[in-house]
Amino acid sequence: MNLIEHVGKYSLLMYRTFSVPQRWKLFLKQLWREIEKLGADSLVITFIISIFIGAVMTMQTQMNIENPLLPRYTVGLVTRDTLLLEFCSSIMCLILAGKVGSNIASEIGTMRISEQIDAMEIMGVNSANYIILPKIIGFMVFIPFLVIYSMFFGLVGGYLISVFTDLITPATYIYGIQYWFIPWYVYYSIIKSVIFAFVITSVSSYYGYYSYGGALDVGKSSTSAVVNSSIIILLLNVILTKILLAS
Amino acid sequence: MILLDNVHKSFDGKEVLKGIDTVFETGKTNLIIGQSGSGKTVLLKCVVGLLEPTSGDIFYDGRSLAAMGKNERTQLRSELGMLFQGSALFDSLSVQDNVLFPLRMFSEVSDKDKIKRARYCLDRVGLTGAYTKFPSEISGGMQKRAAIARAIALNPKYLFCDEPNSGLDPLTSIKIDELITDITEEYQMTTIINTHDMNSVISMGEKVIFIYEGEKGWEGTKEEIITATDHHLREFVFASKFFQKSVELSKK
Repeated sequence: MNLIEHVGKYSLLMYRTFSVPQRWKLFLKQLWREIEKLGADSLVITFIISIFIGAVMTMQTQMNIENPLLPRYTVGLVTRDTLLLEFCSSIMCLILAGKVGSNIASEIGTMRISEQIDAMEIMGVNSANYIILPKIIGFMVFIPFLVIYSMFFGLVGGYLISVFTDLITPATYIYGIQYWFIPWYVYYSIIKSVIFAFVITSVSSYYGYYSYGGALDVGKSSTSAVVNSSIIILLLNVILTKILLAS
Repeated sequence: MILLDNVHKSFDGKEVLKGIDTVFETGKTNLIIGQSGSGKTVLLKCVVGLLEPTSGDIFYDGRSLAAMGKNERTQLRSELGMLFQGSALFDSLSVQDNVLFPLRMFSEVSDKDKIKRARYCLDRVGLTGAYTKFPSEISGGMQKRAAIARAIALNPKYLFCDEPNSGLDPLTSIKIDELITDITEEYQMTTIINTHDMNSVISMGEKVIFIYEGEKGWEGTKEEIITATDHHLREFVFASKFFQKSVELSKK
């Protein structure tokens, strides 16, 4: 299947997905389930990754800033800006594309091959709307919280290095992470992550929804979902950075 | 009554259905039989609207499927019930919630009445006591029963069953067949069953259509099938030595 066919099928699926839910009560119930499953269940992995990356970033920045002309607080500043600008949105979303994307694609793919989606269609239920919309909305709603949570624990990771090693003092680190703070960086990160959340959930849903065959094919769909979501995220990252920061 | 008028279906230029004409009557169990790959499932999917026929039309009590708009199709869907080969129960929902699903989607009655109706359907198929179980916790036969309960929850006018006995032992198969026959009579539905189980054909086949390589090879009743002269049909019907012996013994 060529790119144009994929884009066409994806657009038609999204057209069906973004329609008014047939039953708001059921939609809200599903939405809550998806927020819990896709968002809240990602808190632990986000915490672990953020705290370790924050710690390593602080150590590496310190080790690579040997120039006496550079003030020591530069370590905190660089750690903060790297976390805010890139790690907590783009890198975290790439990691979540693996966790959340494969979860969505395999779940919907299994529903497809076990005819559960056909069963919904026979009943007259808009299966795309019922299954996919709560996932997209749920993850887009929750991702800003994940990003802020990741920023916080990334900075905590760096702080722990300042406390438990002699690479930098806690006071200098704290001064560095507060120095020349640009609030727009937080908004920029949140805007990017919301768009990436849409990419992860919609692209993964697309690959799951059009799965066919057996378990092996669901596995292939899951892989395609993660790979293609990641590529789109990387491409969009360049475009969004140009639009939101460089212009 | 469902009428099929010269239904063709092709995939990538390969013709799978080659002009099927037939009538499925109300209040009867209509069987579609044929070998694996003969086009039975494609025919059933065309009839229920999951696949669009390449040409030809399907009429539900005089209503043309091809001419139906989105709203009319949605209305028609609420009149259909379907039992899938693998039951197709929703894994994340309990047995009762599976039956409640179409009621929650389309019924306007109170929640209490919806639960009452779901439990009535589950009791009707003999699943009292399995309300809170999940599909993975019950046997294949019970899953089929739960799927039947879900299919009849909205009092459908048309019931479709895709190989209802697949993966079931003979005793459970007989029970499922009896259940489908009883429900068809009770609700006066037009029931279409896709099967290659000769036991089902002999016990339920008020009307039987034999599909051979995408064409209607033969049409008749369960009584006529034993004496039919169509070569391909005889090959299919008497493929089982056990069945062949049983027929011979019954003639004596």
